Amino acid sequence: MKWRKWNNILHRDIGYLAFGLTIIYAISGIAVNHMADWNPNYKIEEMHSTIAPITAEITETKEIINTVLKQLNIDDIPKNSNFLNRETIQIFLENNTVTTNLSTGEVSQEIVKSRTLIRPMNFLHLNHPKKLWTWVADIYAIALAFLAITGLFVLKGKKGIKGRGAWLAAIGMSIPILFKLLYF
Amino acid sequence: MIKKITITAILTLIFVNLSFATDGEIKTNILGKPITLTEITKISTILANPQELLGDTVLVKGTIIDVCKKRGCWMEIASDSSFQSIKIKVKDGEIIFPLSAKGSSALVEGVVEQLVFTKEEVIAMEEHQAEEHGTEFDPSTITEGKTIYRIRGIGAQITK
Repeated sequence: MKWRKWNNILHRDIGYLAFGLTIIYAISGIAVNHMADWNPNYKIEEMHSTIAPITAEITETKEIINTVLKQLNIDDIPKNSNFLNRETIQIFLENNTVTTNLSTGEVSQEIVKSRTLIRPMNFLHLNHPKKLWTWVADIYAIALAFLAITGLFVLKGKKGIKGRGAWLAAIGMSIPILFKLLYF
Repeated sequence: MIKKITITAILTLIFVNLSFATDGEIKTNILGKPITLTEITKISTILANPQELLGDTVLVKGTIIDVCKKRGCWMEIASDSSFQSIKIKVKDGEIIFPLSAKGSSALVEGVVEQLVFTKEEVIAMEEHQAEEHGTEFDPSTITEGKTIYRIRGIGAQITK
């Protein structure tokens, strides 16, 4: 049949086109699905150390920051700072937050590293670029729906939608229905 | 066939990274809905008279001193007054505050809201925070419930 030939050609070629985005959405989907257990965008490393307490004679914030960073052998230029209370200062560096108790000298560093591959995937998956990407994502979603429908008609006969395909499609559709009944 | 799949996968990853290249270096990151207010309300004013501003949409400005480590669903911004800060909470997924934004300046528009917690809820909350920060927490230090004022974020501009 002519329509099936075109169905299969379109299914195949649109499938090829959708391959890359499907992989991105699949990997990012798993990553963001488990946000409660991990941060899908950043690796967070905590480091604890102790430096010599900052004496009360040092009162200027700039001087306090320099003294702390010098003791930690950090050369980075701080982008900002904040006093949480009279004794605790936060020094914000690029991807590192240094929190220091001035009277005890206890230091905790929170070093943040971007997940090179997954973060850009999440960025696209969650439509953070917006603008033109919204259209790309919409077209991709339509393509996925098209692939799902044309996929039903790729094969004819016993293994097609009139046989085994009908059962498998019904099982697949029953999964969201079951969870809707359980949780919704 | 494997060669073709590998090439396609590599090209896809290059495309993704190119699309993302500007994000890492964005000077001003605009999140959520566009900011409509022009007049900034001081955080110290909100915290001094929270009941008066409850339910009002305000525009606040300050340094980001903490960000939710898992979902990026809240951030704490420093007040204009010493040792004071306010939490900006957003609906999970609607806005994600980047963890790398700590130390950056934020301009946030949102609604002032009040949360009343029982003693048990405060203990659970503090326990969760201690776990998240890897610090110790003694539940006996909590003797009563508390009321927290925060801002439900609608839109934000984060400047490096």
